[in-house]
This record gives sequence, C-alpha cells and structure tokens, in this order.
Amino acid sequence: MNYPTGLSQRVTKNLMAVRILLVDDHPIVRQGLRTLLEGRSGWEVVGEASDGLEALEKIESLNPDVVVLDVTMPRMNGLEACRMIQQKRKSSGLEVLFVTQHDSPQMMREALDAGARGYVVKSNAARDLLEAVEAVSEHRVFTALARSPQAAN
Amino acid sequence: MKLRILLADDHEIVRRGLCALLQKHEGWEVCGEASDGREALEMAKQLKPDVVIVDIGMPYLNGLDTTRQLLQHDPHFKVIVLTITDSDQVIREALDAGARGFVLKSDAARDLVSAVEALQSKRMFFTPRVNDLVLAGFLDKGHAISRNEPPNLPTLTVREREVTQLLAEGKSSKEVASLLNLSTKTVETHRSNIMRKLSLHSIRDLVVYAIKNNIIQIQMPPQIQRPTETTVA
Repeated sequence: MNYPTGLSQRVTKNLMAVRILLVDDHPIVRQGLRTLLEGRSGWEVVGEASDGLEALEKIESLNPDVVVLDVTMPRMNGLEACRMIQQKRKSSGLEVLFVTQHDSPQMMREALDAGARGYVVKSNAARDLLEAVEAVSEHRVFTALARSPQAAN
Repeated sequence: MKLRILLADDHEIVRRGLCALLQKHEGWEVCGEASDGREALEMAKQLKPDVVIVDIGMPYLNGLDTTRQLLQHDPHFKVIVLTITDSDQVIREALDAGARGFVLKSDAARDLVSAVEALQSKRMFFTPRVNDLVLAGFLDKGHAISRNEPPNLPTLTVREREVTQLLAEGKSSKEVASLLNLSTKTVETHRSNIMRKLSLHSIRDLVVYAIKNNIIQIQMPPQIQRPTETTVA
C-alpha cells in the first residue's frame, strides 16, 4: 500500500476508515462492542444484526469492511454465516472477526476453516478487540484464546 | 441523590454495554464494577449501592450464591439477577436466593431499565414467565423453601458450595485454598465431605452436578458441521 508523502505509516493507519458490522444476538453485547469501537478515530459501526441471516442481508445493504460475528445465534449461527460470507469476500475484501464465548482451539480452528480472519473470546474482548479489528481490516490473521497468548500474523 | 448501581459480570464487554444503557438515565450512577462474585461481595459491602445487578454465570462465586451472601450480610440489598436462561430451576433459585429482579441477558437492553426503575420504586421486576410461575402459586404456603437456602442442595454449607464451584471450574485444591484463604488440608476436607454428601466419585461427576444445579453455567457451542463437497464454493 502507498502512504501519502510526509505522513508516518502509524498516523495514516489510525486515520484509515473501517466500516464495521456488529452481529450478536444480545443487544447489550453489541452495545458494549460499539462503545469500544467507536472510540477509535475513523472507525464506524455501520449497522447491527442479531443473527446470521440478518447479517447476510445487512452486508448487502451496508457494505462493511469487517464483520464482528458471534458464534452461537438463532436462525443461522456464526459459522454458517461465515461460510456464506466467503463467497462475497473474494470480490469485496470483506473480513470476518469472531468474538465469542467459546474459548476452544477446536472452535477457533472451525472458525478459521470457515473463512474467518480473526478469533477472540468475549472474556478478553476489551483487551483484544481493537487490535483484532485493526489486523483483520488489513487482511492479517489475529487469534487470541483466553488460555494462550495472542497470535497475530 | 443519584441511584447508585453496582454491576457484576465477568465480561467487560457486557459491563460496558450495561453501563452505557444505565448511565443514559439521569439520576442513576454506576458506582462500581465487579468481574466475579467475590469481588461483587467486597465492593457491595464497601460501596453500599442501592441496586446490585449480578450475572448468574460468574467465576469463583456465581450470581445466585453472591445474591444469597449479599442478603445474608444485609437484607436491605436489592438484587437483580441477569441470566441467559429462564428455566424453572433457575427462576426458583433466584427467587429463593432473594433476588427482587430477574432479567434475561438477551432482553437486558429492553428490560433492565424497567427492572431498575421497579426496584427504585420498591417493586419487584420479573420476566413474564416468572410472573406466570408466581401466579400459578409457586410461592404459596406449600412451597417449603426458606429464603437464602439452595433448594436442591440442602446438605451443602455455604463454604462447600463455594468449594464445589471452584473445583468444577478446574481449580486444584491448592488454588482453591489460595482463593478462599484456607489451608490446602481444609479444602481437601471440604472436597471429601462434598463428594461423600452428594455421593459423587470423580471430579467429572462434580462438574456434571455443578452444571445441573446452576453452580456453574456453560454455553453449548453449535453443532460443528463441515460443508459437503457439493456445497463448497
């Protein structure tokens, strides 16, 4: 990527706009995620969805860069939604970051196999979320289970 | 004077959402946040909030036992329990523990403000399902459970319930001892008594027991299904 002359890479990164769709069946969790994300200059929560089906509809209308996705949801769970999103990702660069209760290497593996770029657990979301969104918005993998140190590539 | 609210939930992201919701209400103030039941107990004793909102599924000391111990310390505390399930057993235990409000987490954005308003007006607040149980005579004279006693665990002491939760969470006896300021030998004695009283033979049995009796809560992951070759894009 080319950065404007005279600006450091860090300053430019912080100004890069990221459009984020929040998907979780608990409105109170979505509110908590929003308060974290909206503190970051240039990032915008463009919409919310309460299940995987609604997420797919909102992706079409809102065109986010990153989908922050829960796993366990009614109607369509996050893993199924992520697989469906993959078809869209190839043309638009859309990335999926899971934020979930499931602190499980097996579930994380499933999420990454489904096409997610990131996976963090809700118990550490306040610590990991911003770095995770930054990483996946730049198409880098970010995973962090509560039981092991974070890993970002 | 502002209504002072103490929040207890092990997920900071949930606490942030609850704070954002409650602090929109003029006249209310979140005076403290706790990430587990033991911390909630200590903070409640220090801060003396008007309302305490506790998540049921917290580590170290779950929300139901936190509620019981809060009210044993001071019956004037007003507690709202937040839970992911409204099963009969959870409802029964929350009522018996002395909670004055019961709100499903999935409906917290809709119901929590009403719940706090109700407690502020010295009323109780429950989900419609709980109201149905109450109307059906759940709390009639025939119901032989006294306040603050866990109905399905008549033989476990408060300390034994604490030890049960910590062991079911995977802590060793040494770790339990450190958390509860006990000797390892004392924890081992509690462990033996618990296993004997409940006729359990292994830690696995203890974990199953703890889950069945809402001492710990788990969320089941969706069944993992791999796409077939025909569905792969």
